[in-house]
Amino acid sequence: MFRVNSMENMSSQLPVFHETAHAELASALEMLAACKNTDNPKQAFGYFMHAKDEYSHAKCFFKMLSQRAKKVSTEKAREFRFTPPSLISKGYVSNKGFLIDTMKLKDFIAFVYTNELLAKSSFEKILNLVGPGTDEGNKISSIMMDELRHHGMAKKYFLNSYPALQPWQLAIYRCRETLQNKGRKIYDANLKFLDRVLTPLYKGLAFIAGIMARRLNLIEFKREGKNLMDISSYSIL
Amino acid sequence: MFIGVSGYNHESAAALVDKNGVLIDYYREESLSRIKGDKSFPRRAIKKLLNSNNLKIKDIERVAFYERPLSAFLHTVKEASLNMPRSLPLLAHQFRNFNRSSVSCYLDFAKEFKGLETKLIYSDHHLSHSLTALSYSNSKKDICSVVIDGFGDRSTASISLVVDPTEINELWNCPYPISLGLFYSSITDYLGFSINEGEYKVMGLSAFGDSNSESAKLVSNLMKWDPNSNKLLSDMSYFDYHISTSNSYSRKLEDLLGPARNPFFPLVAGDKDFQRYADIARGAQDLIVNLLIKIFTHAHNLTSSKRFLFSGGVSLNSASIDRLAQLPFVDEIIIPPSPGDSGCAIGAAFFCYIKSNLQNSLNISKPSLFPSVIEKRNDKFLTEKIINDHFDVLADNEDDAFSKAAELIGSGEIIGTIVSSSETGPRALGNRSLICDGRNKDTVKKLNTVIKNRSSFRPTAPAMKYEIAKKYYQLRPELYECYKSMSATCKCIDDNISLEFPTTHVDGTARIQIVEKNSCLEKLLSKLEKFNIEILANSSLNVSGDPTCFDLIDGLMVCARTSLVYLLTDFGLLAKKNSIY
Repeated sequence: MFRVNSMENMSSQLPVFHETAHAELASALEMLAACKNTDNPKQAFGYFMHAKDEYSHAKCFFKMLSQRAKKVSTEKAREFRFTPPSLISKGYVSNKGFLIDTMKLKDFIAFVYTNELLAKSSFEKILNLVGPGTDEGNKISSIMMDELRHHGMAKKYFLNSYPALQPWQLAIYRCRETLQNKGRKIYDANLKFLDRVLTPLYKGLAFIAGIMARRLNLIEFKREGKNLMDISSYSIL
Repeated sequence: MFIGVSGYNHESAAALVDKNGVLIDYYREESLSRIKGDKSFPRRAIKKLLNSNNLKIKDIERVAFYERPLSAFLHTVKEASLNMPRSLPLLAHQFRNFNRSSVSCYLDFAKEFKGLETKLIYSDHHLSHSLTALSYSNSKKDICSVVIDGFGDRSTASISLVVDPTEINELWNCPYPISLGLFYSSITDYLGFSINEGEYKVMGLSAFGDSNSESAKLVSNLMKWDPNSNKLLSDMSYFDYHISTSNSYSRKLEDLLGPARNPFFPLVAGDKDFQRYADIARGAQDLIVNLLIKIFTHAHNLTSSKRFLFSGGVSLNSASIDRLAQLPFVDEIIIPPSPGDSGCAIGAAFFCYIKSNLQNSLNISKPSLFPSVIEKRNDKFLTEKIINDHFDVLADNEDDAFSKAAELIGSGEIIGTIVSSSETGPRALGNRSLICDGRNKDTVKKLNTVIKNRSSFRPTAPAMKYEIAKKYYQLRPELYECYKSMSATCKCIDDNISLEFPTTHVDGTARIQIVEKNSCLEKLLSKLEKFNIEILANSSLNVSGDPTCFDLIDGLMVCARTSLVYLLTDFGLLAKKNSIY
């Protein structure tokens, strides 16, 4: 059972499912990387099961995206086609490496702890979008339960591994991550706003650069009749 | 030691060649990041090369990047500048992302592997392709190299004569933006598939099309060979890939062929519009085959060579290779197992080796099809709890595991393999595969649809020993090396039972794999003789949209995410416990 949606509604929902699917898939990859990175079989097991859940969540959101994208124009639907490298270009996976490679283990666990809870609250909004009690709503509720379970496991692990830390210190981590998340959203919104404002300037500059580029004579870089092994290996042209 | 690196534009990779001219290690970045088609700077791959081989930066003599970065940048910018103002968004995008293009490879080396940047040299893009292909050839002299791809650093296709590894003379090229590779990608995009991933689907779909249909004829006329100037010609008004960041084809193409396909609609034979899309794919395939024939004929006229190296993304079009082998002047075609940009890392590494040994005798060894170094000990330790909790070990020594796997395949089961080193290229050749009895229709269908979730119009490849292949398929001696890496399709023998095999495509062809001696599949096929199974269906071990598995954890994850039950590993044969997943 699906909630009846107009075409405009569908179009407006596409980015939500597209981005959430990206986020869940990126989480799966982060957990898989953590699984491979650890030297503790028990931790590997935990990360492995977590990754499996996240893969399953991503699959659900991609399916929900697909259901909606079928009902919009081809031109619109093409914008929401998934290409794996977009996980990096959209910033869901850092081009500097996975979190486990760039963070201390303690920070990584705290990150998981707080973000699972934040994810759950963002799924509540999606639940309202699809409607609680619908097939999709039930799936999202189940995903929310998973996120809560992951949050609990991270907390348990954190407190077991770092007994000197108190639960209130985890709350600080949570506050910090919540603020950072909000900061990222504001930054992203500002970036988009600036992008709109500055696009005419960029295009103007590109036009001037384009006029200069037209004059480039690339013929002398032709290789026809040349021994390719003789060309300087230090030249980037 | 020499490192070759590719990246930024298509799949990135890193290769390691030693001072004796032997490829000793190779990784694709996507195998390690688990992001299919990962084109970012291959930091993981380089790091793994260094760690797995206990190397420090000082041990590396030279590093080669697979193309000339500024040349690639300027050629695209110059072409876009000729199409202003339509191309302004692309131009703005190019300038704004200048620091993320391959021009930044020097800085990335300096940031990630301090010291390596001082050893960095650059090879021409198509030269890297040629050297990759050359390394897989038994003879390294007097051979013609044909490279055809989307775009390199100057051209989109080239013909060179390899006199020897130190003298590779370019004799012809096709300048950007006219491009066979980008044409095929645009049609892939039009048909609703992802560029750089869906080209295989177009190839599979084309077998359902009719060359005499109106759509096919329209598409097959979009590019031409001019016999007077020996140039490829194309009406660029049908394409936008050279002027747009988001569209590869123009409205004019839609006016010509009808509306493009919504990518989210499943494409099922018999459905509305299926035939139109299949005919369009047929037209694209016919165009590719016809133009490849022209280019190879021109290559022969220029070089008088009868032996050809063929590389670049277009050489992944395995359905066209059989036709090329029928040309009267062709004695041999060599296609490397990874002919796309990721394989260029191998050519770049050999470029370093050759450049550093110009005064010495060169000895380029033919690389293995399974070159990566795998740390088995670490895998076993890490997966201990996952396996103990969720898997039964059915056999724990190698011989018993293979015997038991053969028994299971004989009873209609599907087996995943994570054995020894992984494959070089995009095609799984047995070490990272999903395999089953190639003549069992129900099992092959289950493998294709239930586990892999592949489009129903894409066939699964059959793998067998050479003497078995001769019984069923019209093998061409010119392509013997290609069959080892699934690089060419072949036709079933007329009126032969192979036409009924589930691995045979609707046009009576199959992308066969002749298994190598002492490989995992050869061993399994030997064990399967007593079950009268001589052909295996072989598909890559992955979930749709993911790269092929790299290590044991990836294989276990495929079991966890799909209905795959059995996994043949270096530590034995595992069976998933029912209750868990």
